Amino acid sequence: MSETKNEYKLLLPLVPILAIIPYLAIVQGWESIDAAIFIVAAPFVAFPTILILGQVYNKNKTWKNTWKEGGILGIGALGVSLSAAIWILFDYLNGTAHFANHSVSHWLEWISFDVLQADYTMTETRILGMGVWIDSLTLMLLFVATFLCFLICWFAIGYMTTNPINEDSNHRFFAEFVLFSMGMFGMVLADNFLWLFIFWEIMGLCSYLLIGFYYWKDSAAKAAKKAFLTTRVGDVFLMVGLFILYDIYGSLEFAVVFDDPSTGVGGALVDSGQMFWALTMLFIGAIGKSAQFPLHVWLPDAMEGPTPVSALIHAATMVNAGLYLVARMMPFVDIHHHGIAGLEDFGIMVAYIGGITAFMAASIAFVQNDIKKVLAYSTMSQLAYIFTGLGSALYFLNIGNYHAGYFVLGASLFHLFNHAMAKGMLFMASGSVIHEVHHAHDHLSSSHDDGGHHDFDPQDMRNMGGLASKMPVTATAMMFGSMSIIGIPLIGGFWSKEGIIAETWAAYFHGESAMLVPAILILATAGMTGFYMSRMWFMTFAGQPKNEVVDHVHETTPWIKEPLLILTLITAIGGFVLALYGVIDFLSNESSHLAMHGDQGIVDSIITQLEHAFLPEDSQMRMVGWVTIFLALFVGPIMAARIHGGSLKDGETATPIVGWLVNLSGKFGTQDVSSLAESDLAEALQNRLYIDDLYEGIIARTVIPFADLCAWFDRNVIDGLIKQIESNSVLGSVQIRRVTTGSARDYILMATVGALSIFALLLGVSN
Amino acid sequence: MIFLTNEEMQLIIPELIMLVGLLGIILIPNFGDAKIRLPLTKIHLPILIGGKRFKPTSNPKLPNRLTLFTLVVAFFFGFADRVATGDVGNALSVDSFSRVFFLIFTAALILSTISAAHRIPARSNVKPPNESDSESLVSRKIDALIDNRRQVDFHIILLMVGLGMSLMAMANHLFMLFVCIELASLSSYILVAFHKESAAGGEAGMKYFIVGSVASAVGIYGMSLLYLWNGDLSFDGLAASWAAADGIDPLAGIGVGLMLVAFGFKVGAAPFHLAAPDAYSGASSPVAGLLATASKAMGFVAMIRILIGITLPVEGEAFWFVTIALISVITMTWGNLAALTSDNPKRILAYSSVAHAGYMLAGLAAIGSGIASIAATKLILIAIIFHLAVLVLFKFGAFLVLSLLETEGRSHRLEDLYGLGKREPLMAGSMFVFMLSLAGVPPLAGFLSKFLMINGIVNASVASGSAGSVSVIGWMGTVNPVFWLAIAIVFNSALSIFYYLRIGLVMFFEAPETDNPLKSATSLRLAITVCALLTVILGITSLGDSVLDIISNAVETFIGN
Repeated sequence: MSETKNEYKLLLPLVPILAIIPYLAIVQGWESIDAAIFIVAAPFVAFPTILILGQVYNKNKTWKNTWKEGGILGIGALGVSLSAAIWILFDYLNGTAHFANHSVSHWLEWISFDVLQADYTMTETRILGMGVWIDSLTLMLLFVATFLCFLICWFAIGYMTTNPINEDSNHRFFAEFVLFSMGMFGMVLADNFLWLFIFWEIMGLCSYLLIGFYYWKDSAAKAAKKAFLTTRVGDVFLMVGLFILYDIYGSLEFAVVFDDPSTGVGGALVDSGQMFWALTMLFIGAIGKSAQFPLHVWLPDAMEGPTPVSALIHAATMVNAGLYLVARMMPFVDIHHHGIAGLEDFGIMVAYIGGITAFMAASIAFVQNDIKKVLAYSTMSQLAYIFTGLGSALYFLNIGNYHAGYFVLGASLFHLFNHAMAKGMLFMASGSVIHEVHHAHDHLSSSHDDGGHHDFDPQDMRNMGGLASKMPVTATAMMFGSMSIIGIPLIGGFWSKEGIIAETWAAYFHGESAMLVPAILILATAGMTGFYMSRMWFMTFAGQPKNEVVDHVHETTPWIKEPLLILTLITAIGGFVLALYGVIDFLSNESSHLAMHGDQGIVDSIITQLEHAFLPEDSQMRMVGWVTIFLALFVGPIMAARIHGGSLKDGETATPIVGWLVNLSGKFGTQDVSSLAESDLAEALQNRLYIDDLYEGIIARTVIPFADLCAWFDRNVIDGLIKQIESNSVLGSVQIRRVTTGSARDYILMATVGALSIFALLLGVSN
Repeated sequence: MIFLTNEEMQLIIPELIMLVGLLGIILIPNFGDAKIRLPLTKIHLPILIGGKRFKPTSNPKLPNRLTLFTLVVAFFFGFADRVATGDVGNALSVDSFSRVFFLIFTAALILSTISAAHRIPARSNVKPPNESDSESLVSRKIDALIDNRRQVDFHIILLMVGLGMSLMAMANHLFMLFVCIELASLSSYILVAFHKESAAGGEAGMKYFIVGSVASAVGIYGMSLLYLWNGDLSFDGLAASWAAADGIDPLAGIGVGLMLVAFGFKVGAAPFHLAAPDAYSGASSPVAGLLATASKAMGFVAMIRILIGITLPVEGEAFWFVTIALISVITMTWGNLAALTSDNPKRILAYSSVAHAGYMLAGLAAIGSGIASIAATKLILIAIIFHLAVLVLFKFGAFLVLSLLETEGRSHRLEDLYGLGKREPLMAGSMFVFMLSLAGVPPLAGFLSKFLMINGIVNASVASGSAGSVSVIGWMGTVNPVFWLAIAIVFNSALSIFYYLRIGLVMFFEAPETDNPLKSATSLRLAITVCALLTVILGITSLGDSVLDIISNAVETFIGN
């Protein structure tokens, strides 16, 4: 523990950096909106700084111990971003700053130029620049991203720098980390689809670099390629979508596009068919980024990156980008605010994709033994919930039921918040488990010196068990995280998941029979989530240790616990508090501040909120709600406890709730499921339902021959052409340099020739 | 009129500062304890000139410092009073147009002075050789002593160049213009040949001088034809007669055409540029940088004065349009092609400078085409002047890096740049920025200037295309040929990327011949870094706008409405 204490003084150099934002706010009297540039600029500056210093001072003691190979700089930059984001958030909530008209503030106007119009005149002036677009959606994502990036960077300082495998390459990690964060911040802030796309691509690049951080490992290199190429497929569609949008509106700026989505360039009415394709293309891009069926294959493999990267990609940044894009589409379909009618099919399609992915990912998660893989599939499944909710929102807004539409939109975004917080914490907790198990194993094998443990996998839950007593903080954190994801009543995700499921069913009850399928799928998934999350927790923390390594595990690594504790608090009570303060209305832009409902006192508010959650007036809703609670709270966890539960070894204790849960799980008895585990279904799930194999087969038969053809064309035709140009230029160059003989006489001769030519030319003109 | 009025003095304060500095450099190093005895008495009066020199004034580094100080002070005075307007005597007039060029020249001279301090170093503690020294030590000591001795010469000539250039920017009389150009040119010939002990330097200076004299002679002949035609060589008089004339008198037309030869030599336009690569590679880098930036700007002042100021018709095509358009395309293509296979970094930069002259001439041609609106004319002029201004940053910056290399006696082969990225990451990075900026890669200053140029040319010509064309190809057939000048610039830029990036390639991907770091020339390194930073900053921030504002103000003064 003394080690932990000593390390905090390393943060002292950051004090002046972190004082920037308060200084601007208090002393200089800046508007918070003008400080938005710092959110992006700070990590943007930190990126090359860390990289260059890391190259120059590599292996330097001070750099390593005091600066943590750049981690301190990274956390400083992210701290600036976080403080600026919080400042803007507070100003927005207080309504003190000038946030009128979505607060478009151009802080980068680079150059303006004329554009060649279709009739070959140059009239219109475009400015290549960037501004900030702020509404509650931006702010929520911005807060999630800055807050989690900050905490994950904190965590990573402990996690990365104590891992000997990363020796001397951590500056690369931190540099890419801050660049990634910058991509997310910029994407959320951008007031323009083009800049959104640019930052989106920066994230794509960084995900490739970070997933492939251990590039010497074949599996990591392949996973990085897979992630990059799969999201790339989505990006191409996204680009097509942007082209269509540009075609419709003649601009990609939010201010122009969202001003009146129903009329395009020149006042023409927008065709719903064209809009449908534009949105579908954008949606495919979002699918790729957020790992939804059928472009979900990259996400489980992305676990090859270091654990902080998994937390970064799956909680704070990348996967949320797709959700953000879909949430941005609401003005297009909201027929109460100049939306385009006749797009309800689009909403239904989004809900279907969500439903299918939720169910599929949850079922695959049943059989995963790698702790991070379970979390990966859980991410996929939870994001699918949000997509389903957004799909319902799109549907409701388009048929004109804006009350339900805004509610489910808010619920979906609230779920995004809850999921991000819980999942960020779960990944960090799993990282903590992996890290400590790994250390214990290293410690053990070095003292035994038998070298027989080389195939030991510190991520495999079958090597764990009974960790509840060894890692009290991690066990508690992970318990609350899992509860939030499952949707245990009163905790985190419950408040948002309930709303999504209820409103999806409401869409069905309101007469859209097509919504039945996603509604059933996500309802079933609620129970399945209960099972696989509980299974993961029980396998890791409950029961008897399954490996001698477990006995040597201790929670000692510095920098790791603080983010876990903070996030545990937020996960445990944040959801309830925010729900109490009307966050759902805030997120759907229905209200511009957080406040308790009406003028009630706090007790009345709580009662109203609880009534709303557990005893809705509509009997159908009440039924759906109670079925969800039953499935998530009882069916899933109890089944998991029967298979994987078990009390701790005699004499070992754990923190109160954890200990109670562990002992409770032991009371459900044990059930042998080995026959089920060997069934065909289990094998299919192990193989991810053969989707990856299918893709490989299709790609091998179609894309690769085509790629070979393109490569041939490129090598022979295009390169040939360029080489031809090159050799001709070189030939010309040699010829023309012969004129430069080095003799002044020749130079004068040439000058005379020139003079005579001018003479002749002008004589011709003059007469 | 010999004496200036107070108002006139105020207008030319920067030039007067240069003059005072010039005198100072001549006088101050000669201060000593010489005394003169009054006849028939025993009173010795100190006269301070000659005798045993005082310690501070005999420091060989003094001329360099004095020059730098003079130039910096002159620059700031010029910058502070950059909107001054008024006539000085009959042949000079100050306005913001001339001031902008004054600033360009002075900035180039400041960089030249900084790098000269390390290229032709003065050492204060050199001892004369004695008999026990080895042969090589003797020759090194003698070299150092020679360098010390010629400090004064070099810097006097440098200031002379500055004086000639800044006066020529103010000239409103053709004769004055020519005299000032010759003052600057003759001084620069000496600078090129300054290292007379090296064969290349002497030869280059000689060649540059001979070809330059021929060009000047032709130009003066053209000027005499103009005098025959008009009998008055003031710009206002010439412009008035030109506007009043019915058609173009052959005498005047040929006169202007022959003057183009002289100015074409100054800007490095084909086919008068041939001596330039020799001169650049023979001269020391501080001087080569001066030739590539300030001297070129001087040529363009003259070109703009004559072509735009005097002979541009109110409407219709200028008679020199075809000539300049042809010269511009030939110049940029020739420069780029010749640079492709060159293996001497200084020659590459010389040819690149020829190509850049071609781009700017294309702008002049577009103005002369008669289809450019007033707005487009202004845009192109702004682009040309902005380009000349930022060239001081990245062209001279590149020469500064080369002069840093020259301190170890190498900069004539591409191999000398090998592995600079490993030896000196900051210097190599700056050099790379300069190369990218020369190539016109966004978001650097070089991109902005090239972009403005192309934008201006396209803006001028695009309206001439037939609006009824169905396809872009068909439309290109109908558009005025001026549009193709922009296309020529684009294609030439693509060609030029090859050799600019080659310098980057060898700096970062080839193994260095030696691992020793370069000389720790702090001020020179600082200047290089500042140039690189400004190249980036001018490209992306509003500082670029401020510079463009100053320039557009100058252009409006020049066009007059």
